[in-house]
Order: sequence, then structure tokens, then C-alpha cells
Amino acid sequence: MKRAVCLGLLAASMLAAQVTYERLVNALEEQQNWLTYWGDYSAIRHRDLKQIHTGNVKDLRLDWIFQTGLPGDFEAVPLVVDGVMYVTGGGGYAYALDAHSGRQLWMYKHSFPPGRKVDLVNRGFAILGDRLFMVTPDANVVALDSRTGRMIWQTEMAPFNKGQHTATLAPLIVKDKVIVGISGAELGIRGFLDAYDDKTGQRVWRFWAVPAKGEPGGDTWLEDSWMRGGGSTWMTGTYDPKLNTLYWGIGNPGPDLYGESRKGDNLYTCALVALDPDTGKLKWHFQFTPHDTHDWDAAETPVLLDLKWKGRDRKLVIEANRNAFFYVLDRETGEFLMGKPFARQNWATELDSKGRPIVLPDTDPSPEGKRVCPGMAGAANWMAPSYNPETKLFYFAVREQCDVYYTNPPVYIEGRGYEGSVARAVTDEEEWGLLKALDPLTGETKWDFRYFRAPWAGTLSTAGGLIFAGDQDGYLMAFDARTGKNLWKIYTGHVIKNAPMTYSINGRQYLTMPSGSAVLTFALPE
Amino acid sequence: MRFLSVGVLLLCAPAGWSQSATDLADGKVTFRGNCGFCHGLDARGGRGPALVGRQFLHGSSDEEIKTVIRSGVPGTTMPAFIMENDELNRLVAFLRSLSSAASDHAAPVAGDVARGKQIYQRNGCARCHRIGLEGSVFGPELTRIGAGRSPEYIRESIVNPSADIQEEYAGVTVVNREGKRTTGIRLNEDTFTVQLRDLSQNFRLFQKDELQQVIPERKSLMPSYATLPKDELQDLLAYLDRLRGDVNAGAAVKKVGGIR
Repeated sequence: MKRAVCLGLLAASMLAAQVTYERLVNALEEQQNWLTYWGDYSAIRHRDLKQIHTGNVKDLRLDWIFQTGLPGDFEAVPLVVDGVMYVTGGGGYAYALDAHSGRQLWMYKHSFPPGRKVDLVNRGFAILGDRLFMVTPDANVVALDSRTGRMIWQTEMAPFNKGQHTATLAPLIVKDKVIVGISGAELGIRGFLDAYDDKTGQRVWRFWAVPAKGEPGGDTWLEDSWMRGGGSTWMTGTYDPKLNTLYWGIGNPGPDLYGESRKGDNLYTCALVALDPDTGKLKWHFQFTPHDTHDWDAAETPVLLDLKWKGRDRKLVIEANRNAFFYVLDRETGEFLMGKPFARQNWATELDSKGRPIVLPDTDPSPEGKRVCPGMAGAANWMAPSYNPETKLFYFAVREQCDVYYTNPPVYIEGRGYEGSVARAVTDEEEWGLLKALDPLTGETKWDFRYFRAPWAGTLSTAGGLIFAGDQDGYLMAFDARTGKNLWKIYTGHVIKNAPMTYSINGRQYLTMPSGSAVLTFALPE
Repeated sequence: MRFLSVGVLLLCAPAGWSQSATDLADGKVTFRGNCGFCHGLDARGGRGPALVGRQFLHGSSDEEIKTVIRSGVPGTTMPAFIMENDELNRLVAFLRSLSSAASDHAAPVAGDVARGKQIYQRNGCARCHRIGLEGSVFGPELTRIGAGRSPEYIRESIVNPSADIQEEYAGVTVVNREGKRTTGIRLNEDTFTVQLRDLSQNFRLFQKDELQQVIPERKSLMPSYATLPKDELQDLLAYLDRLRGDVNAGAAVKKVGGIR
């Protein structure tokens, strides 16, 4: 009965919860909430919550579990808005939960046209006003009523065509626009980034991640290779409201492992692009890996930091890239400031003064197979990093793993793989992972914690002096942010493939980490 | 674990070519990328059976070979591969080109099979291995070893067991704070724990922070039998080569029109 009253009150407060654009801009002033995929526009993923701290984290215990009862793993980071948690599952499912109790408030199930059912993962919601926005495996953008889960509009981003175009990312709201990217480079698409009107679902602009012949950058593609040039935009970008600039990582070129048919730098693949969010026009770009042939896309998080760089306050964007180099750029101009390897790599001697890699000979995939580090999954990937303003350190997951890369000239057939290789061979070498604490001003490692296997989980930083992270064997862990000492762990029984997040309700701090098809939420004993 | 990751990769990576561009060279690339890890880059066998100079255990028609590739073999480590028809056709064409070039090597291993069995028994192989339902689960099962491994591989495994250790039979030694050592087959290892099957075949879970050391065994837990007289080794090999899986786990899977 008491629970029913609580839920009733909650429902009433939900009606009042309007997430304005101003609230999104100032998301870090609402430490109890988690309003965007990254937690805020800059993606620092640090929360000023310290009820759980280095001294008591050992007492952290499971508070509730929500299970979908469906196959498929959560890869989403939930939003929490005024006591309600919104989380997307795989295969077009989404849920609203009472963030205090884990009880389901509503469920949404995307309706697939016949023959289009795809059990792809999904990485989460965006919210604006009383509307939630998500993408679906068959490349639609969907707007839902956050109070009921009822669908308000649905817009197809691109024809599904035998699964060529798919989508998995969490949308990003900028002003009145829903910014969404596309997946499918491995099937020969030409990537793009779209903005849709939040009220109508009409497309407002499209930025082509691969320029056409005759456009700026079009001369970096051999002949007509741009038409199937890949460049997925499959992870959520970041945004600087003061500079009115959107930062988005572009995927790898296609065919993935065969470069002969697309000689040239292949812009804007494997690059970070800075766009005007009102028009979708390019402001600048920085390409990490020109003419990539190892699937090292630039889907890693572009984290926006304002730091003193060599004595001068600068607006920076930092990124641990899949190609094993850590980069610092000026985010107003795109100027390259620093780049250093953070993991084993054997493909480049170093970066030149402009940040372009000096590539070693004989590191391309070959028909006999070529061993190159990092492996195809990269030294870093989409899993979220975090930055702690108190320790001034950048915390991220590192994959130490190499692969043998094969290549083969592909023939394009609609809806089929267009990768230029049969598959990655798995080597017999030991792999491992690291949780790395790195000083972004120097690129030097402050500490490492070694995982047994290469991980797929990101990090969270809190004012309690803690870094939360997950590993490939299913441990959710807490570390001392200053020393890297492991202070707490729980075996969740399933590989963790997303990043932890935290929120609070009525002064109680919670830690949430989906694992498998369950949402696990932890708190200190009451 | 490894096979799982190969399978998953293939799942997300259906490669495609046109039907008309059939080419043995393409079949070879497909073979090296997908099959070579187990069957050897030259298809002469390794962790998986040799595919040259032997009769295919699950049928030798094109369709039967394709069924094996598409469905995997239940009860073995052969996974199911998702491949398009044209890709499969080229792979099978490549396999056929190998078999026709090497068909004269198909003879079974020479030796006294009955004596080989006695040598197997006399040396206590069943203390670790099993054939059918007889023997122990500590080491790899040998029920269908002759179908699954080339004679060269089996010979090497007897005289130099450390030459190739399957991941699921890798040994590990843990040393506790008092210096006590425990050795066994590593069943699980993660960032914080090691779980092993010890020499008495008990499951043991150790917390790494309660251990001085975790030592992955580079050497096989199996002793070398390099000192066996040459004729005894040959007879043992002849016996093992004829173990073709009458009692294997896959045979228990009833499937209409599928794998026998």
C-alpha cells in the first residue's frame, strides 16, 4: 500500500518533469540526475556524489535487479530523470523503471515490418521535454511519450534494404534537434549524420560522412569508391553549447580490410568532425587514421575539457583512439596538440607535427595474414571513459590484444558483407586489459589496473574518490581514483558491455550497471 | 572460448562475392581465414582433423561437406559457420583440389592395433584419458582422436605433449601464502580468481589476493612418452588412429538429415 502511494506520487512528479534544453546544457548542476547518454554534453562522466566513498564502498550492496526476461545483452546507459530510469534493451525494447525500486512503469516494443526483425543492441535514450528519443535496429528514429511509452512519431533514417542500414546509438539532443547516426559500413553504406525536428520527426539536415566526388574531401577517394565508403556514425557525439559546436566520431572506411579499391585518405572516415548543429555544416576535421585498413574507426568518446595547456587556458577535446594513440586537440580549431601511444602498437613509428601517423611498411592486411597490434577491436573502443576534475586524470579501458588481418578483394552485393576479408583470425597470444589512469596534459600513465581479459566496459568517476568499472568476466569494481587500488567488486556472472552510472533519490546514492539482460542497482545499506 | 569468438565474428561478418567469380584462390583465402586455425594453413590438420588425404568422416559429397560447415559437428569443437552459397562453393572447390592432389596418402597408420591397445592400457593412459565411457576426464577425450587429429599431431602429442596444449587443458599452479602449491587443469581464470580441477579431480576456487603466485604451466601436465620403444609407439599410434568415434557425443544427437 505504501509502495502504491509512493508510485502514485512518483507518477505525479513525472508529469511535472519537463526536461528543457537549458536543463541539458546545465546537466552537471543536477547531480542527482543523469540527463544524457554521457551524463552531460562534455562527456566527463564525473558526478559530484560522495555518499559512497573510498571509506565505505566495501559495504556497497545490491539494492534491486530488473530483468527483461529476454535474450540479448544491455549495452545502454540508462537516463535518470527525477526518480525515473529510462533504459533501452536490444531488439527494439525500451523500459521506464522506478529508479528507487526497479519496478517497471511501462515498456515499449518497436514494431518491425515483416522480415526486418533484427536483434541488435541499443545504447540508450535521449530526452527533451516529455519526449524520449531512441533509434531502432531497422534504422528508425522513434519519439516516445516519457510518461506512458506511447509512440509519438517514427521516422525512417534510410531504407533498411536487407539490413544494410541499422542503428544502435543513443541520440543527442541539441536545442530542438535530435541528432542521430547510422551503422552499416561493413555492408557498403555511405555514412551520414542526421538531425530531426523533435516535434515533427522531419529531417532538418544531413551531413555525409563520406563526401561525394567534387565536394571538398571527395578527391581522397579513388574513382567511385566513396559511394560505398562506409563511415558509420554509430556512437553518440559530444557538444559545446558555448562554441555551438557538435563533435562526432566517424567510423572506418569500407571495405574494411581491403584498401586497394579506395586509395587515398578516405575522408572523413576515422576522423573527428566538428559541425554546426544548426546546419550540419563542417567547421573542421581531424583524421586519426588516414586510409585505415584495420577497422580502427573513431567511434571513441571525444571528451571536452577546459584545461591550462602549456600555461594557457584552452578548450580541448581529448580521445583515446582505437588505433592505440591518445590525442589532445584544440576544439575551437581542430589543431593537433599532442598524441602518444597508450597501448601496444606495431603499425606506426609516431605521429608527425600535424598528428598524422608515420606508418610502418608491411602492416596492411594480406592474403596470408598479417599480425598487427592493436587487434580489430582496437586498443580502445566505444566504451565510455571518464575524467575526474579533482585528480585531473582521465580513466579509460584498454584492450591489449593483437590480431592476424586477412584481406581479399570484395564484390559488392546489396545486403551482404563488404569487408574485404573473410574474418579476423584469432591468434594464440595472451590478451589482457587495463583500467588506465592517464594525465591528459602529458599522456603519461599515473596508474594501471590489470584485467585478465580485454574489456568492453567503460568507467565512471565520482567525488567519493572512486572509479567504477567493469570487466570481460563480469566483475563490477570500484577503485581508488588516486592510487588504482581495488576497493570493492562483485561478480555479476555476465560480461559487462557498457558503463556504470550513478544518481540519487531523496539523498540516497545509487550505482547502476546493466549486465546481461538485467539492470543491477547498488546502494549502501539504509 | 576461441571457437566462440570465431563464430561470433563470422556472424557479424558475412562476406560476399558474386556467384560467377568462382576461384580457387578465393577459396584458399576463405579457408585460411576461417579454417586454418584448427585444420592448419595447408589443411594437413592440427587441432582439427587433416582435410587432405583422408576420407571425410561426415560424408564426402559437396552437400555433406557444406552441411558440416553450416551446422558444425555436435559434441566436437567444430562450430557452425554462416556463409553464403557462393563462398561455400569456392571453399568446397578448394578442399576438393587438395584432396585430389593428395589422395594417395589416405592409408591408415601401419602397426599392430591389438598390441597398441595393450600399450595404451599398460602405460596407464586411461588414468587421464577416456575412450567412450572408459577412463578419466582429467585429460582430453580420445574416443574419436583418429578422426579429429592427423597421425603427425598424435605422434607429437605423445612424445612432446607440450608442443600444442588445448586451452581447456592448460595447466596452472597456484602457490598460497604458506608456500603450498596446487596444480591442476585451469577451468576458469579471471581478474580476481582461478578455478582448477586438481590432480585428485576436485574443483578448487582460489582468490588471487590470497595467493603468492599464479603460474600458468607452459608445459603440458601430461608426461612425455618419448622413451617408448619405436615399435611400441608405432603400434600405439596405429591403435589411436583407428579410434574414429563410434561412441562419441555427436552420435547421441539425433537429427533428421543432419550430422551422423
